[in-house]
Amino acid sequence: MDLMRMVTVNRVWRSIVRHGVIATNRNRAMLVMENVFLHLHSVKVRRRNLELSSTYYLGGISLILFLLLTLTGLYLMLYYHPSVPQAYDDMKELQFAVSNGVFLRNMHRWAAHAMVFVVFLHMLRVFYHRAYRPPREFNWVVGVILLLLTLLLSYTGYLLPWDQLAFWGVSVGTNMVQAMPGVGPRLRFLLLGGNIVGDNALIRFYVLHCVLLPLGLTAGVAVHLWRVRKDGGVAGSVHRQAFQAARRAADPRRGRNGRRASEDRGEGAP
Amino acid sequence: MPEPETKPDARLTRRRFCQTAGVTACALAAGGAGMLSVEFLHPRVLFEPPTRVSLGPPDGVGVGTVIASESHRLFVIRLKDGFRAMSSVCTHLGCITRYQPDDGAIACPCHGSRFSLDGEVLVGPAPRPLHWLEMAVSDKGLITVDTAVEVSQGMVYKL
Amino acid sequence: MKPCILVEDSDAKAVPKRIALIRREAPARLLDHGDEFVPSAPHLLMQEIIVLQACIVLLAIVSLLFDAPLEGIADPYHTPNPAKAPWYFLGLQELLHYFPPVVAGVLLPFLAVVGVAVVPYFRMNVEVSGFYEAPWKRPLALLTILTAGISALLVVYHVWPVLIPTVVVYVLVVLPALAFCPAGLSRRLSAIPMSDWIMSWFVAVVTILTTIGVFFRGPGWSWIWPWKDGIY
Repeated sequence: MDLMRMVTVNRVWRSIVRHGVIATNRNRAMLVMENVFLHLHSVKVRRRNLELSSTYYLGGISLILFLLLTLTGLYLMLYYHPSVPQAYDDMKELQFAVSNGVFLRNMHRWAAHAMVFVVFLHMLRVFYHRAYRPPREFNWVVGVILLLLTLLLSYTGYLLPWDQLAFWGVSVGTNMVQAMPGVGPRLRFLLLGGNIVGDNALIRFYVLHCVLLPLGLTAGVAVHLWRVRKDGGVAGSVHRQAFQAARRAADPRRGRNGRRASEDRGEGAP
Repeated sequence: MPEPETKPDARLTRRRFCQTAGVTACALAAGGAGMLSVEFLHPRVLFEPPTRVSLGPPDGVGVGTVIASESHRLFVIRLKDGFRAMSSVCTHLGCITRYQPDDGAIACPCHGSRFSLDGEVLVGPAPRPLHWLEMAVSDKGLITVDTAVEVSQGMVYKL
Repeated sequence: MKPCILVEDSDAKAVPKRIALIRREAPARLLDHGDEFVPSAPHLLMQEIIVLQACIVLLAIVSLLFDAPLEGIADPYHTPNPAKAPWYFLGLQELLHYFPPVVAGVLLPFLAVVGVAVVPYFRMNVEVSGFYEAPWKRPLALLTILTAGISALLVVYHVWPVLIPTVVVYVLVVLPALAFCPAGLSRRLSAIPMSDWIMSWFVAVVTILTTIGVFFRGPGWSWIWPWKDGIY
């Protein structure tokens, strides 16, 4: 379209976007390599990793849910005061007075439950596909840490509405912490900022939920994805790998490097 | 039979249709999300103190008196022609002005602006005269001033 | 052809040696799987955008239909009955019903987390051929003793929700070794490595405990039937 050409063929555009819009392999590579938000991706991926049965997209869905939770959480933070009893009044205000308050709160709550569930499913998928084998062992451990951070994020957020469900749910949990031998009571005192679930507990859980744990999770996700890159991409299923390797070895159309000539010309799938 | 000439972009291909439909749908969704955000960001309920304040009965104010209310940030002045209410907030940078009975003027402590009892700027960096405010008498017979409603200069009330 | 002569010399420069250690579970294989590569832009990026949109749409539909709960304001002096933790901790809370807090609240979760974290560092019989062929008596005996010990502990504490999956998994593992097991079933069951059995047992236990905690526990943590008494 002439409009596209008008927008993209000028000095201002060229100073911001350094690759062309035309679909060549060079421009595709430059888009991923030179964009700070996209450059965590590799320039090329294995076609089999794009299939549903390879990963069921569970890792990606976990990340998407985290981004949605951050966004809806930011909105909710604008009307929420972490003090007693203001917090509960703010929940009522979100429910009745704020435009789209109910919708955004619901999005946040259901995305939180979904994320805990999806992260657990992701762990099971990686396990049953045996994608934790060397050199990916430590990435599995990073994943377990991310699972714990997700549970903690959900738990700290649970207290914030300051209703009966929140208060007693957290009371039960912190009493379980107290049962730890030796450090239990001290840990509970630190967590609650006192002996009871009150004002101090609310502000501590708020700071944990909105600042510390999200930062921790972001750092963990960065390490997790970086290691996926360095380990040569997503592992997919070990069973499928063996099956497809055997099938490809028998394919007469493939050259010695395992690729078809059409891919080297940049045409992608036939 | 000669074939009709077609320009390359004239026909609507399936791909072009799907692309346009997809981009339009995304644009609509983004627009909707934007509208949702803007609506969300405007609070519909404010928990601020009310702007209409009640003072004493009109008969309690003699002619030639200036009542300075610090908590409501206003002056109520009764002269021969009637009542007037003025905001005591200096129009320069928002400091609270004070009435000086010795020289019958209203002075701002921050940068030295001085105003007459009509609110006109006598001296100083203040750019505009003091705002005149709407007055009324409530059902209980008390003077009410609405600090959010500005009336024109010289609006004198006979209460 | 003359026979090869063995030269023994510890000087690596004079007599270079090449040794390759091939472990049983990591046989030497060609690294190139012959995978087809496609550019991330547009294939991967487009897929990510589509999945993102699908997630948003699904989440939005659920958010429009179902409201997040909000009960009365927190009252430190009135405990609701029952006082339930968030659903992902209800499995733990159910376990608290059977074991003292130190065990159910600290020891078992700690063991579970550590157990899951060290999974890649344990080569738990990933290849199954050794388990059902001779000599299978020793690993099977070991497994039987372990299962019997755990089951005894569970019976003593009346932990039926954990006992049942333990027994079921044990039976399924042992079945191929028994004579009367049909060949097809035997083949399929014996192909599953021990690590998969253990994880499946763990998932079954967690799922059962959480389901009970969510649906089948009512006031005073008593047993209820949700279709009769509702969900607490």
